[in-house]
Amino acid sequence: MNVQEYISESGIIESYVLGLATESERTEFEQLCTQYPELVAARREFEERLEQHASQQAEPPPPGVKVKIFKAIGDQHPDHSPSSNPPKTITMENVNSPARSTSGWLRFVAAASVVLLIGLAWFTYQSYTQNNELQTTNNALKARLNSTDSILNQIVAEQKMVKDPNVTVVNMVGTQTAPKSSANIYWDSTSSNVFLVVKNMPKLPSDQQYQLWALIADKEGKPQPKDLGVFDATDDKVILKMKNTQKAQAFAITIEQKGGSPSPTLQKMQSLGKTTQTQ
Amino acid sequence: MHALKNRDNQAFGFLYDNYAGALYSIIKQIITDNAELASDVLQEVFINIWRKIETYDQTKGRLFTWMLNIARNASIDTLRSKSYQNSQKNQELPDNVYKGTANQTTLMNVDNIGLKKILEKLRPEHRVLVELAYFKGFTHEEISEMMAIPLGTVKTRIRNALLQLREYLK
Repeated sequence: MNVQEYISESGIIESYVLGLATESERTEFEQLCTQYPELVAARREFEERLEQHASQQAEPPPPGVKVKIFKAIGDQHPDHSPSSNPPKTITMENVNSPARSTSGWLRFVAAASVVLLIGLAWFTYQSYTQNNELQTTNNALKARLNSTDSILNQIVAEQKMVKDPNVTVVNMVGTQTAPKSSANIYWDSTSSNVFLVVKNMPKLPSDQQYQLWALIADKEGKPQPKDLGVFDATDDKVILKMKNTQKAQAFAITIEQKGGSPSPTLQKMQSLGKTTQTQ
Repeated sequence: MHALKNRDNQAFGFLYDNYAGALYSIIKQIITDNAELASDVLQEVFINIWRKIETYDQTKGRLFTWMLNIARNASIDTLRSKSYQNSQKNQELPDNVYKGTANQTTLMNVDNIGLKKILEKLRPEHRVLVELAYFKGFTHEEISEMMAIPLGTVKTRIRNALLQLREYLK
């Protein structure tokens, strides 16, 4: 190969240096350079001229670029500089840390378990206490509801009775022995139901009770008493269902021994009320 | 050189002070219309030089040649990047409308600096080809297609142009 001709006529040196050569051209040229020192010398000569020319044409770069560049590369310290020591320290720590972190983890888990257990126990106790309280309150409320219900039912029943056109109200007034005694008899003439509402009856000794009688006239016109049941003075302001009777010219209340008597003790008659019913 | 490969900051500073101007000039000859962008490319080029300094092979050429090629490649890459192309579309349209064919001449004359100054001495048909190859980064095949000139002719003309260039550099 005529090296001089190659240098002066191929243009490869220029295109190689200027970066215009193709990959295969570059490879070939680099291969030839190892064989022909003249080629290297020619390349170097062109490079030097190019560099010289470029330096002559140099344009001052904008201020600040250099600072920016050094700031950018300052963040990337080379591996062998003194600042590369910290990573080694980190490596040492990493060697030790697994064991330490495992025991630390276990300790954390144990502590967390205890805290959890205490919390759970407290929560259970709280729930139990609260449950008991709620049950007690609930029972109390149920009892109150029941009594209120029964009272209400009685009131409703009384109201119904009072307004019922078939019900006769007999006002029992006190006799001379007990002037303040008073009670009302609600007598349903169609159903024969007799209800008693104590308005004011003196309290009796525990071995005695009041007894209600219906006085019904016999064939000769003499009033015969009919037992309608016993009651207490404490059965106050409630409607007492007594025994039924179809007939009654009057009602009477006497004081009898507890449980009642087969015939009334008339001298102890407390109150009397006449009906409009006639024989 | 050894200091540079060890990434010595002082050596790198020296390198910048000596060559940044020449490289900035070549960058501006490629990115002709945006000094701010050229400045960004210069910054990128030196950061790349710092990172790639170990790959520099002395047997294949001088350090400046190596750096010059990094600068040229980075500039052409920027020139071809999408964001740059988009900004160009917005700017170039009115130019074409009002200046018409004069645009081509403007491109040639405005950058009467650096290597382009030498290009002025070349015959126009040679000059355009070197311009496209070196400053625009087109391959011979691309130039052949663009200019509708046979590939062999493109190669011959560029070869002749480069040989002339060498003479002018003497």
